[in-house]
Amino acid sequence: MKPLIDANSITYEYIRRDDEGNVEGITTALDHVDLQVKKGDFIAILGHNGSGKSTFAKLLNAILTPAEGTIYVDGFDTSDPANVWEVRRKAGMVFQNPDNQIIAQVVEEDVGFGPENLGVPTKEIWERVIESLKALGIYELRKKSPNRLSGGQKQRVSIAGVLAMHPECIILDEPTAMLDPRGRREVIRAVRALNDVENITIILITHYMEEIVNADRVFVMNEGKIAMEGTPREIFSRVEELQNLSLTVPAVTLLAHELKKAGVDLPDGVLTKEELVSCLF
Amino acid sequence: MFVLDEVSYIYDKGGAYQSQALDRVSLTVGDGEFIGLIGHTGSGKSTLIQLMDALLKPDSGTIYYNGEDINGSSYDRRKLRSEVGLVFQYPEHQLFEESVFKDVCFGPKNLGLSQKEQELRAYRALELTGLSKECFYQSPFDLSGGQKRRAAIAGVLSMEPKVFILDEPTAGLDPKGRKEILNLIRDLREKTGMTVILVSHSMDDVADYADRIIAMDKGRVFLDGTPKEVFAHAEELAEAGLSVPEVTAIVRMIADRGLPVDTSVTTIPEARDEILRILGR
Repeated sequence: MKPLIDANSITYEYIRRDDEGNVEGITTALDHVDLQVKKGDFIAILGHNGSGKSTFAKLLNAILTPAEGTIYVDGFDTSDPANVWEVRRKAGMVFQNPDNQIIAQVVEEDVGFGPENLGVPTKEIWERVIESLKALGIYELRKKSPNRLSGGQKQRVSIAGVLAMHPECIILDEPTAMLDPRGRREVIRAVRALNDVENITIILITHYMEEIVNADRVFVMNEGKIAMEGTPREIFSRVEELQNLSLTVPAVTLLAHELKKAGVDLPDGVLTKEELVSCLF
Repeated sequence: MFVLDEVSYIYDKGGAYQSQALDRVSLTVGDGEFIGLIGHTGSGKSTLIQLMDALLKPDSGTIYYNGEDINGSSYDRRKLRSEVGLVFQYPEHQLFEESVFKDVCFGPKNLGLSQKEQELRAYRALELTGLSKECFYQSPFDLSGGQKRRAAIAGVLSMEPKVFILDEPTAGLDPKGRKEILNLIRDLREKTGMTVILVSHSMDDVADYADRIIAMDKGRVFLDGTPKEVFAHAEELAEAGLSVPEVTAIVRMIADRGLPVDTSVTTIPEARDEILRILGR
Protein backbone atom coordinates (compact mmCIF):
# COMPACT_ATOMS: atom_id res chain seq x y z
CA MET A 1 0.00 0.00 0.00
CA LYS A 2 1.20 3.49 -0.81
CA PRO A 3 2.14 5.47 2.31
CA LEU A 4 -0.14 8.38 3.21
CA ILE A 5 2.87 10.57 3.81
CA ASP A 6 5.98 9.98 1.82
CA ALA A 7 8.94 12.27 2.47
CA ASN A 8 11.98 11.56 0.31
CA SER A 9 15.32 13.05 1.23
CA ILE A 10 13.87 16.43 2.18
CA THR A 11 16.09 19.32 3.10
CA TYR A 12 15.05 22.70 4.41
CA GLU A 13 17.26 25.68 5.19
CA TYR A 14 16.55 28.92 6.99
CA ILE A 15 18.54 31.69 5.38
CA ARG A 16 19.37 34.75 7.47
CA ARG A 17 19.90 37.99 5.58
CA ASP A 18 21.20 41.37 6.71
CA ASP A 19 19.49 44.71 5.97
CA GLU A 20 20.79 44.77 2.40
CA GLY A 21 19.55 41.26 1.71
CA ASN A 22 22.98 39.65 1.70
CA VAL A 23 23.10 36.14 3.10
CA GLU A 24 24.46 36.20 6.66
CA GLY A 25 24.13 32.57 7.48
CA ILE A 26 22.29 29.37 6.70
CA THR A 27 20.75 27.03 9.24
CA THR A 28 19.92 23.59 7.96
CA ALA A 29 16.74 22.68 9.79
CA LEU A 30 16.18 19.42 7.93
CA ASP A 31 18.95 17.45 6.35
CA HIS A 32 17.90 14.77 3.84
CA VAL A 33 15.07 13.30 5.90
CA ASP A 34 13.22 10.20 4.73
CA LEU A 35 10.00 9.37 6.51
CA GLN A 36 6.96 7.35 5.51
CA VAL A 37 3.68 7.19 7.40
CA LYS A 38 1.04 4.56 6.70
CA LYS A 39 -2.63 5.42 6.80
CA GLY A 40 -4.09 4.93 10.26
CA ASP A 41 -0.74 5.04 12.05
CA PHE A 42 -0.07 6.94 15.26
CA ILE A 43 3.36 8.48 14.86
CA ALA A 44 5.25 10.44 17.49
CA ILE A 45 8.14 12.78 16.81
CA LEU A 46 10.51 13.71 19.62
CA GLY A 47 13.50 15.98 19.69
CA HIS A 48 14.84 18.91 21.69
CA ASN A 49 14.07 22.52 20.75
CA GLY A 50 15.66 23.34 17.42
CA SER A 51 15.97 19.73 16.27
CA GLY A 52 13.78 20.29 13.20
CA LYS A 53 10.48 18.81 14.41
CA SER A 54 8.33 21.86 13.79
CA THR A 55 9.90 22.55 10.42
CA PHE A 56 9.01 19.03 9.42
CA ALA A 57 5.41 19.56 10.56
CA LYS A 58 5.14 22.74 8.49
CA LEU A 59 6.42 20.91 5.43
CA LEU A 60 3.69 18.28 5.78
CA ASN A 61 1.06 20.97 5.59
CA ALA A 62 2.67 22.92 2.71
CA ILE A 63 3.21 25.93 4.97
CA LEU A 64 6.82 25.45 3.91
CA THR A 65 8.06 23.55 0.89
CA PRO A 66 11.31 21.58 0.82
CA ALA A 67 14.44 23.11 -0.70
CA GLU A 68 15.40 19.65 -1.90
CA GLY A 69 13.52 16.36 -2.02
CA THR A 70 9.80 15.75 -2.27
CA ILE A 71 6.88 15.18 0.06
CA TYR A 72 3.72 13.49 -1.08
CA VAL A 73 0.58 13.68 1.03
CA ASP A 74 -1.86 11.02 -0.17
CA GLY A 75 -0.21 11.21 -3.57
CA PHE A 76 -0.16 15.02 -3.84
CA ASP A 77 3.22 16.71 -4.19
CA THR A 78 3.28 19.54 -1.61
CA SER A 79 5.73 21.57 -3.71
CA ASP A 80 3.19 22.06 -6.48
CA PRO A 81 1.21 25.24 -5.65
CA ALA A 82 -1.82 23.75 -7.40
CA ASN A 83 -1.99 21.07 -4.68
CA VAL A 84 -1.88 23.36 -1.64
CA TRP A 85 -5.62 23.24 -0.88
CA GLU A 86 -5.80 19.51 -1.34
CA VAL A 87 -2.73 18.95 0.88
CA ARG A 88 -4.09 21.17 3.65
CA ARG A 89 -7.46 19.48 3.57
CA LYS A 90 -5.86 16.08 3.87
CA ALA A 91 -3.28 17.02 6.49
CA GLY A 92 -4.72 19.29 9.17
CA MET A 93 -2.53 21.03 11.68
CA VAL A 94 -2.92 21.87 15.38
CA PHE A 95 -0.43 24.23 17.05
CA GLN A 96 0.82 24.77 20.57
CA ASN A 97 -1.28 27.74 21.59
CA PRO A 98 -5.04 27.27 21.12
CA ASP A 99 -5.57 31.02 21.55
CA ASN A 100 -3.78 31.59 18.24
CA GLN A 101 -6.09 29.37 16.25
CA ILE A 102 -9.55 29.99 17.65
CA ILE A 103 -11.25 32.84 15.81
CA ALA A 104 -15.01 32.72 16.38
CA GLN A 105 -17.04 33.92 19.36
CA VAL A 106 -18.93 30.66 19.74
CA VAL A 107 -17.42 27.17 19.82
CA GLU A 108 -19.65 25.64 17.12
CA GLU A 109 -18.97 28.53 14.73
CA ASP A 110 -15.27 28.10 15.21
CA VAL A 111 -15.47 24.41 14.37
CA GLY A 112 -17.57 25.22 11.29
CA PHE A 113 -15.05 27.73 9.93
CA GLY A 114 -12.86 25.13 8.21
CA PRO A 115 -15.57 23.27 6.27
CA GLU A 116 -17.21 26.60 5.40
CA ASN A 117 -14.00 27.68 3.71
CA LEU A 118 -13.92 24.43 1.81
CA GLY A 119 -17.32 25.32 0.35
CA VAL A 120 -19.18 22.53 2.10
CA PRO A 121 -23.01 22.98 1.90
CA THR A 122 -24.48 24.55 5.05
CA LYS A 123 -26.48 21.52 6.11
CA GLU A 124 -23.43 19.31 5.89
CA ILE A 125 -21.30 21.86 7.78
CA TRP A 126 -23.62 21.49 10.77
CA GLU A 127 -23.51 17.72 10.55
CA ARG A 128 -19.73 17.83 10.51
CA VAL A 129 -19.60 20.31 13.41
CA ILE A 130 -21.80 18.12 15.59
CA GLU A 131 -19.94 14.96 14.70
CA SER A 132 -16.54 16.60 15.38
CA LEU A 133 -17.63 18.10 18.68
CA LYS A 134 -18.91 14.70 19.78
CA ALA A 135 -15.71 12.95 18.71
CA LEU A 136 -13.72 15.33 20.94
CA GLY A 137 -16.16 15.05 23.84
CA ILE A 138 -17.05 18.76 23.84
CA TYR A 139 -20.54 18.69 22.33
CA GLU A 140 -22.01 20.22 25.50
CA LEU A 141 -19.71 23.24 25.09
CA ARG A 142 -20.95 24.10 21.58
CA LYS A 143 -22.80 27.30 22.54
CA LYS A 144 -20.02 28.63 24.79
CA SER A 145 -17.55 31.37 24.13
CA PRO A 146 -14.07 29.90 23.61
CA ASN A 147 -12.71 32.56 26.00
CA ARG A 148 -14.38 30.89 28.94
CA LEU A 149 -12.98 27.42 28.31
CA SER A 150 -10.02 25.73 29.97
CA GLY A 151 -6.83 25.16 28.00
CA GLY A 152 -7.63 21.50 27.40
CA GLN A 153 -11.12 22.36 26.19
CA LYS A 154 -9.81 25.08 23.89
CA GLN A 155 -7.26 22.76 22.39
CA ARG A 156 -10.00 20.19 21.75
CA VAL A 157 -12.01 22.91 19.99
CA SER A 158 -8.99 23.51 17.73
CA ILE A 159 -8.75 19.80 16.98
CA ALA A 160 -12.49 19.60 16.30
CA GLY A 161 -12.07 22.45 13.81
CA VAL A 162 -9.47 20.42 11.95
CA LEU A 163 -11.52 17.23 12.18
CA ALA A 164 -14.54 18.96 10.61
CA MET A 165 -12.48 19.37 7.45
CA HIS A 166 -12.41 15.56 7.23
CA PRO A 167 -8.64 15.21 7.02
CA GLU A 168 -6.79 11.95 6.45
CA CYS A 169 -4.17 12.99 8.93
CA ILE A 170 -3.83 15.43 11.83
CA ILE A 171 -0.44 16.86 12.75
CA LEU A 172 -0.21 18.16 16.30
CA ASP A 173 2.79 20.33 17.11
CA GLU A 174 3.26 20.25 20.89
CA PRO A 175 -0.49 20.49 21.49
CA THR A 176 -0.14 20.05 25.26
CA ALA A 177 2.86 22.28 25.97
CA MET A 178 0.73 25.05 27.46
CA LEU A 179 -1.77 22.85 29.31
CA ASP A 180 -1.99 21.65 32.89
CA PRO A 181 -1.90 17.90 33.62
CA ARG A 182 -5.67 17.50 33.38
CA GLY A 183 -5.81 19.37 30.07
CA ARG A 184 -2.95 17.26 28.76
CA ARG A 185 -4.78 14.06 29.60
CA GLU A 186 -7.98 15.31 27.95
CA VAL A 187 -6.21 16.18 24.73
CA ILE A 188 -4.12 13.01 24.51
CA ARG A 189 -7.13 10.83 25.24
CA ALA A 190 -9.11 12.61 22.51
CA VAL A 191 -6.26 12.24 20.03
CA ARG A 192 -5.95 8.55 20.75
CA ALA A 193 -9.69 8.10 20.26
CA LEU A 194 -9.50 9.82 16.87
CA ASN A 195 -6.83 7.33 15.89
CA ASP A 196 -8.58 4.26 17.30
CA VAL A 197 -12.17 5.02 16.43
CA GLU A 198 -12.06 7.31 13.40
CA ASN A 199 -8.87 5.78 12.02
CA ILE A 200 -7.34 9.22 11.50
CA THR A 201 -3.58 9.15 11.01
CA ILE A 202 -1.89 11.06 13.83
CA ILE A 203 1.50 12.74 13.88
CA LEU A 204 2.14 13.95 17.40
CA ILE A 205 5.12 16.18 18.13
CA THR A 206 5.78 16.48 21.84
CA HIS A 207 8.25 16.89 24.68
CA TYR A 208 6.22 14.77 27.05
CA MET A 209 7.45 11.20 26.92
CA GLU A 210 4.37 9.83 28.69
CA GLU A 211 2.23 10.91 25.74
CA ILE A 212 3.90 8.67 23.19
CA VAL A 213 3.72 5.36 25.03
CA ASN A 214 0.82 4.28 22.81
CA ALA A 215 2.31 5.40 19.50
CA ASP A 216 2.86 2.83 16.75
CA ARG A 217 6.20 4.32 15.85
CA VAL A 218 8.47 6.98 17.28
CA PHE A 219 11.00 9.13 15.44
CA VAL A 220 13.63 11.05 17.37
CA MET A 221 15.06 14.04 15.56
CA ASN A 222 18.40 15.68 16.17
CA GLU A 223 20.12 18.41 14.17
CA GLY A 224 17.73 18.02 11.28
CA LYS A 225 18.14 14.28 10.94
CA ILE A 226 16.26 11.27 12.20
CA ALA A 227 18.51 10.00 14.97
CA MET A 228 16.37 7.12 16.25
CA GLU A 229 13.33 5.25 15.01
CA GLY A 230 11.29 2.41 16.46
CA THR A 231 8.42 1.41 18.70
CA PRO A 232 8.13 3.27 22.03
CA ARG A 233 9.58 0.21 23.75
CA GLU A 234 12.56 0.09 21.43
CA ILE A 235 13.18 3.82 21.80
CA PHE A 236 12.83 3.85 25.59
CA SER A 237 15.26 0.93 25.88
CA ARG A 238 17.98 3.30 24.78
CA VAL A 239 18.01 5.56 27.85
CA GLU A 240 21.58 6.83 27.57
CA GLU A 241 21.22 7.58 23.87
CA LEU A 242 18.08 9.63 24.53
CA GLN A 243 19.82 11.51 27.31
CA ASN A 244 22.66 12.34 24.95
CA LEU A 245 20.06 13.85 22.63
CA SER A 246 18.88 16.13 25.49
CA LEU A 247 15.76 14.05 25.97
CA THR A 248 14.58 11.96 28.84
CA VAL A 249 12.39 8.91 29.36
CA PRO A 250 9.25 8.58 31.51
CA ALA A 251 9.98 8.35 35.25
CA VAL A 252 8.85 4.71 35.35
CA THR A 253 11.21 3.78 32.50
CA LEU A 254 14.05 5.59 34.23
CA LEU A 255 13.38 3.83 37.52
CA ALA A 256 13.34 0.45 35.73
CA HIS A 257 16.61 1.38 34.03
CA GLU A 258 18.20 2.25 37.39
CA LEU A 259 17.01 -1.04 38.90
CA LYS A 260 18.37 -2.94 35.94
CA LYS A 261 21.74 -1.27 36.38
CA ALA A 262 21.69 -2.41 40.02
CA GLY A 263 21.31 -6.01 38.81
CA VAL A 264 17.54 -6.54 38.89
CA ASP A 265 16.31 -8.73 36.05
CA LEU A 266 13.91 -6.56 34.05
CA PRO A 267 13.05 -6.26 30.35
CA ASP A 268 14.25 -3.23 28.40
CA GLY A 269 12.03 -0.21 27.89
CA VAL A 270 9.40 -0.70 30.60
CA LEU A 271 6.59 1.71 29.71
CA THR A 272 3.96 1.60 32.43
CA LYS A 273 3.76 1.42 36.22
CA GLU A 274 1.65 -1.73 36.03
CA GLU A 275 4.21 -3.43 33.84
CA LEU A 276 7.07 -2.56 36.17
CA VAL A 277 5.28 -3.75 39.30
CA SER A 278 4.22 -7.04 37.73
CA CYS A 279 7.74 -7.65 36.41
CA LEU A 280 9.18 -7.04 39.88
CA PHE A 281 6.81 -9.02 42.08
CA MET B 1 9.24 36.74 55.99
CA PHE B 2 5.67 36.66 54.76
CA VAL B 3 2.67 36.14 57.00
CA LEU B 4 -0.77 35.79 55.43
CA ASP B 5 -3.61 36.10 57.88
CA GLU B 6 -7.05 34.91 56.74
CA VAL B 7 -6.59 36.34 53.26
CA SER B 8 -9.57 36.21 50.89
CA TYR B 9 -9.89 37.45 47.36
CA ILE B 10 -12.96 37.57 45.14
CA TYR B 11 -12.33 37.41 41.42
CA ASP B 12 -14.40 39.70 39.18
CA LYS B 13 -16.29 41.09 42.15
CA GLY B 14 -19.81 42.11 41.15
CA GLY B 15 -19.20 40.87 37.61
CA ALA B 16 -20.65 37.96 35.68
CA TYR B 17 -17.81 35.61 36.59
CA GLN B 18 -17.55 36.39 40.28
CA SER B 19 -15.89 33.61 42.22
CA GLN B 20 -14.01 33.13 45.46
CA ALA B 21 -10.42 32.85 44.20
CA LEU B 22 -8.90 32.75 47.67
CA ASP B 23 -10.76 31.72 50.77
CA ARG B 24 -9.28 32.68 54.18
CA VAL B 25 -5.74 31.55 53.51
CA SER B 26 -3.30 31.72 56.41
CA LEU B 27 0.31 31.00 55.72
CA THR B 28 3.83 31.79 56.89
CA VAL B 29 6.76 31.80 54.50
CA GLY B 30 10.12 31.90 56.26
CA ASP B 31 13.33 33.39 54.86
CA GLY B 32 15.33 31.07 52.63
CA GLU B 33 12.60 28.46 52.16
CA PHE B 34 12.21 26.62 48.85
CA ILE B 35 8.48 26.17 48.41
CA GLY B 36 6.69 24.25 45.69
CA LEU B 37 3.19 25.64 45.16
CA ILE B 38 0.87 23.15 43.49
CA GLY B 39 -2.78 23.21 42.56
CA HIS B 40 -5.08 22.58 39.64
CA THR B 41 -5.78 25.47 37.24
CA GLY B 42 -8.17 27.81 39.03
CA SER B 43 -7.16 26.66 42.51
CA GLY B 44 -5.91 30.11 43.48
CA LYS B 45 -2.11 29.77 43.03
CA SER B 46 -1.73 32.70 40.68
CA THR B 47 -4.01 34.88 42.78
CA LEU B 48 -1.93 34.05 45.84
CA ILE B 49 1.37 35.07 44.27
CA GLN B 50 -0.08 38.26 42.84
CA LEU B 51 -1.37 39.19 46.29
CA MET B 52 2.12 38.63 47.72
CA ASP B 53 3.54 41.14 45.27
CA ALA B 54 0.68 43.59 46.01
CA LEU B 55 -0.51 43.40 42.41
CA LEU B 56 -3.92 42.51 43.85
CA LYS B 57 -5.46 43.70 47.09
CA PRO B 58 -7.19 41.19 49.36
CA ASP B 59 -10.92 41.62 49.96
CA SER B 60 -10.33 40.66 53.55
CA GLY B 61 -7.42 39.57 55.70
CA THR B 62 -3.92 40.97 55.96
CA ILE B 63 -0.57 40.22 54.34
CA TYR B 64 2.54 41.11 56.32
CA TYR B 65 6.00 41.29 54.81
CA ASN B 66 8.69 41.56 57.47
CA GLY B 67 6.06 42.58 59.97
CA GLU B 68 4.45 45.34 57.92
CA ASP B 69 1.01 45.29 56.29
CA ILE B 70 1.78 45.53 52.57
CA ASN B 71 -1.61 47.06 51.86
CA GLY B 72 -1.27 49.71 54.56
CA SER B 73 -1.78 53.27 53.37
CA SER B 74 1.80 54.40 54.03
CA TYR B 75 3.50 51.17 52.92
CA ASP B 76 6.17 51.49 50.23
CA ARG B 77 4.95 48.99 47.65
CA ARG B 78 7.66 50.00 45.22
CA LYS B 79 10.21 48.72 47.69
CA LEU B 80 8.19 45.53 48.21
CA ARG B 81 8.27 44.84 44.49
CA SER B 82 12.01 45.40 44.38
CA GLU B 83 12.41 42.77 47.09
CA VAL B 84 9.77 40.32 45.89
CA GLY B 85 10.61 39.35 42.33
CA LEU B 86 7.83 37.77 40.34
CA VAL B 87 8.53 35.82 37.15
CA PHE B 88 5.29 35.35 35.25
CA GLN B 89 4.46 32.47 32.93
CA TYR B 90 6.20 32.78 29.58
CA PRO B 91 8.25 35.73 30.88
CA GLU B 92 10.07 36.00 27.54
CA HIS B 93 6.91 37.56 26.10
CA GLN B 94 7.86 40.62 28.13
CA LEU B 95 11.30 41.07 26.59
CA PHE B 96 11.26 44.29 24.60
CA GLU B 97 14.63 46.05 24.47
CA GLU B 98 17.02 45.96 21.54
CA SER B 99 19.63 43.99 23.44
CA VAL B 100 19.45 41.46 26.24
CA PHE B 101 21.70 43.63 28.39
CA LYS B 102 19.49 46.71 28.03
CA ASP B 103 16.43 44.62 28.79
CA VAL B 104 17.94 43.37 32.02
CA CYS B 105 18.93 46.94 32.99
CA PHE B 106 15.29 48.03 32.80
CA GLY B 107 14.40 46.89 36.34
CA PRO B 108 17.36 48.48 38.12
CA LYS B 109 16.81 51.65 36.06
CA ASN B 110 13.28 51.88 37.41
CA LEU B 111 14.65 51.48 40.91
CA GLY B 112 16.41 54.80 40.27
CA LEU B 113 19.92 53.38 40.52
CA SER B 114 22.91 55.05 38.88
CA GLN B 115 23.85 53.86 35.41
CA LYS B 116 26.95 52.17 36.76
CA GLU B 117 24.98 50.29 39.39
CA GLN B 118 22.32 49.34 36.81
CA GLU B 119 24.91 47.85 34.52
CA LEU B 120 26.71 46.10 37.33
CA ARG B 121 23.50 44.48 38.47
CA ALA B 122 22.47 43.49 34.96
CA TYR B 123 25.87 41.95 34.38
CA ARG B 124 25.74 40.03 37.66
CA ALA B 125 22.20 38.79 36.97
CA LEU B 126 23.07 37.61 33.47
CA GLU B 127 26.16 35.84 34.74
CA LEU B 128 24.10 34.09 37.43
CA THR B 129 21.73 32.70 34.82
CA GLY B 130 24.63 31.10 32.97
CA LEU B 131 23.78 32.80 29.70
CA SER B 132 26.89 32.94 27.52
CA LYS B 133 28.46 36.36 27.03
CA GLU B 134 27.84 36.42 23.27
CA CYS B 135 24.14 36.61 24.07
CA PHE B 136 24.40 39.74 26.24
CA TYR B 137 24.43 42.24 23.38
CA GLN B 138 22.22 40.31 20.97
CA SER B 139 18.59 41.10 20.35
CA PRO B 140 16.55 38.99 22.77
CA PHE B 141 14.49 37.89 19.78
CA ASP B 142 17.46 36.11 18.21
CA LEU B 143 17.87 33.77 21.18
CA SER B 144 16.52 30.23 21.50
CA GLY B 145 13.50 29.54 23.72
CA GLY B 146 15.61 28.42 26.68
CA GLN B 147 17.97 31.39 26.34
CA LYS B 148 15.07 33.85 26.16
CA ARG B 149 13.65 32.34 29.33
CA ARG B 150 17.00 32.85 31.07
CA ALA B 151 17.24 36.43 29.85
CA ALA B 152 13.75 37.14 31.18
CA ILE B 153 14.63 35.57 34.54
CA ALA B 154 17.77 37.73 34.64
CA GLY B 155 15.50 40.76 34.24
CA VAL B 156 13.89 39.96 37.58
CA LEU B 157 17.12 38.80 39.23
CA SER B 158 18.74 42.17 38.47
CA MET B 159 16.39 43.65 41.04
CA GLU B 160 18.25 41.40 43.51
CA PRO B 161 15.06 40.11 45.08
CA LYS B 162 14.98 38.52 48.52
CA VAL B 163 11.92 36.51 47.59
CA PHE B 164 11.82 34.97 44.14
CA ILE B 165 8.44 33.75 42.89
CA LEU B 166 8.25 31.86 39.62
CA ASP B 167 4.99 30.88 37.93
CA GLU B 168 5.64 27.70 35.94
CA PRO B 169 9.10 28.73 34.78
CA THR B 170 9.59 25.56 32.74
CA ALA B 171 6.34 25.63 30.72
CA GLY B 172 6.90 24.94 27.05
CA LEU B 173 10.59 24.04 27.35
CA ASP B 174 12.10 20.75 26.25
CA PRO B 175 13.26 18.24 28.89
CA LYS B 176 16.82 19.54 28.91
CA GLY B 177 15.67 23.16 29.10
CA ARG B 178 13.34 22.29 31.99
CA LYS B 179 16.11 20.67 33.97
CA GLU B 180 18.50 23.54 33.30
CA ILE B 181 16.02 26.15 34.55
CA LEU B 182 15.22 24.14 37.70
CA ASN B 183 18.91 23.59 38.44
CA LEU B 184 19.48 27.29 37.88
CA ILE B 185 16.80 28.17 40.45
CA ARG B 186 18.32 25.76 42.96
CA ASP B 187 21.82 27.18 42.41
CA LEU B 188 20.58 30.76 42.70
CA ARG B 189 18.98 30.01 46.01
CA GLU B 190 22.14 28.35 47.28
CA LYS B 191 24.28 31.29 46.16
CA THR B 192 22.02 34.12 47.34
CA GLY B 193 20.03 32.54 50.17
CA MET B 194 16.82 33.97 48.79
CA THR B 195 13.37 32.53 49.39
CA VAL B 196 11.97 30.66 46.39
CA ILE B 197 8.33 29.97 45.62
CA LEU B 198 8.00 27.73 42.59
CA VAL B 199 4.56 27.29 41.05
CA SER B 200 4.51 24.03 39.14
CA HIS B 201 2.23 21.45 37.59
CA SER B 202 4.90 18.77 37.81
CA MET B 203 4.75 16.72 40.99
CA ASP B 204 8.07 15.12 40.04
CA ASP B 205 9.75 18.54 39.86
CA VAL B 206 8.48 19.88 43.18
CA ALA B 207 9.36 16.56 44.84
CA ASP B 208 12.91 16.81 43.50
CA TYR B 209 13.55 20.48 44.22
CA ALA B 210 11.34 21.93 46.97
CA ASP B 211 11.76 21.53 50.74
CA ARG B 212 8.15 22.38 51.43
CA ILE B 213 5.03 21.91 49.35
CA ILE B 214 1.85 23.92 49.58
CA ALA B 215 -1.12 22.36 47.81
CA MET B 216 -4.17 24.45 46.95
CA ASP B 217 -7.70 23.58 45.95
CA LYS B 218 -10.74 25.84 45.51
CA GLY B 219 -8.97 28.85 46.96
CA ARG B 220 -7.75 27.10 50.09
CA VAL B 221 -4.50 25.56 51.24
CA PHE B 222 -5.38 21.93 51.91
CA LEU B 223 -1.93 20.43 52.40
CA ASP B 224 1.29 22.05 53.62
CA GLY B 225 4.45 20.20 54.58
CA THR B 226 7.57 18.44 53.34
CA PRO B 227 7.24 16.58 50.03
CA LYS B 228 7.02 13.32 51.96
CA GLU B 229 4.25 14.62 54.20
CA VAL B 230 2.22 16.09 51.35
CA PHE B 231 2.61 13.16 48.96
CA ALA B 232 1.45 10.75 51.65
CA HIS B 233 -2.06 12.09 50.90
CA ALA B 234 -2.53 10.50 47.47
CA GLU B 235 -6.34 10.30 47.66
CA GLU B 236 -6.85 13.93 48.74
CA LEU B 237 -4.46 15.09 46.02
CA ALA B 238 -6.36 13.10 43.41
CA GLU B 239 -9.64 14.67 44.55
CA ALA B 240 -8.09 18.09 43.98
CA GLY B 241 -7.06 17.13 40.44
CA LEU B 242 -3.44 16.63 41.51
CA SER B 243 -1.35 13.51 41.82
CA VAL B 244 1.73 12.09 43.51
CA PRO B 245 5.11 11.74 41.78
CA GLU B 246 5.26 8.75 39.42
CA VAL B 247 7.63 6.84 41.66
CA THR B 248 5.39 7.38 44.69
CA ALA B 249 2.51 5.90 42.68
CA ILE B 250 4.70 2.90 41.86
CA VAL B 251 5.67 2.14 45.46
CA ARG B 252 2.04 2.53 46.47
CA MET B 253 1.10 -0.11 43.91
CA ILE B 254 3.76 -2.36 45.40
CA ALA B 255 2.33 -1.74 48.88
CA ASP B 256 -1.13 -2.65 47.55
CA ARG B 257 0.27 -6.09 46.80
CA GLY B 258 0.90 -6.48 50.51
CA LEU B 259 4.65 -5.92 50.45
CA PRO B 260 6.29 -3.99 53.31
CA VAL B 261 7.48 -1.06 51.22
CA ASP B 262 7.98 2.48 52.51
CA THR B 263 5.47 4.52 50.49
CA SER B 264 6.96 7.88 51.47
CA VAL B 265 9.55 7.86 48.68
CA THR B 266 9.25 10.72 46.22
CA THR B 267 12.40 10.59 44.05
CA ILE B 268 13.86 8.04 41.65
CA PRO B 269 17.00 7.25 43.72
CA GLU B 270 14.84 6.76 46.83
CA ALA B 271 12.46 4.48 44.95
CA ARG B 272 15.35 2.48 43.51
CA ASP B 273 16.91 1.96 46.96
CA GLU B 274 13.60 1.07 48.56
CA ILE B 275 12.73 -1.50 45.86
CA LEU B 276 16.21 -2.99 46.08
CA ARG B 277 15.80 -3.23 49.86
CA ILE B 278 12.56 -5.21 49.70
CA LEU B 279 14.00 -7.38 46.94
CA GLY B 280 16.70 -8.20 49.51
CA ARG B 281 19.67 -6.76 47.59
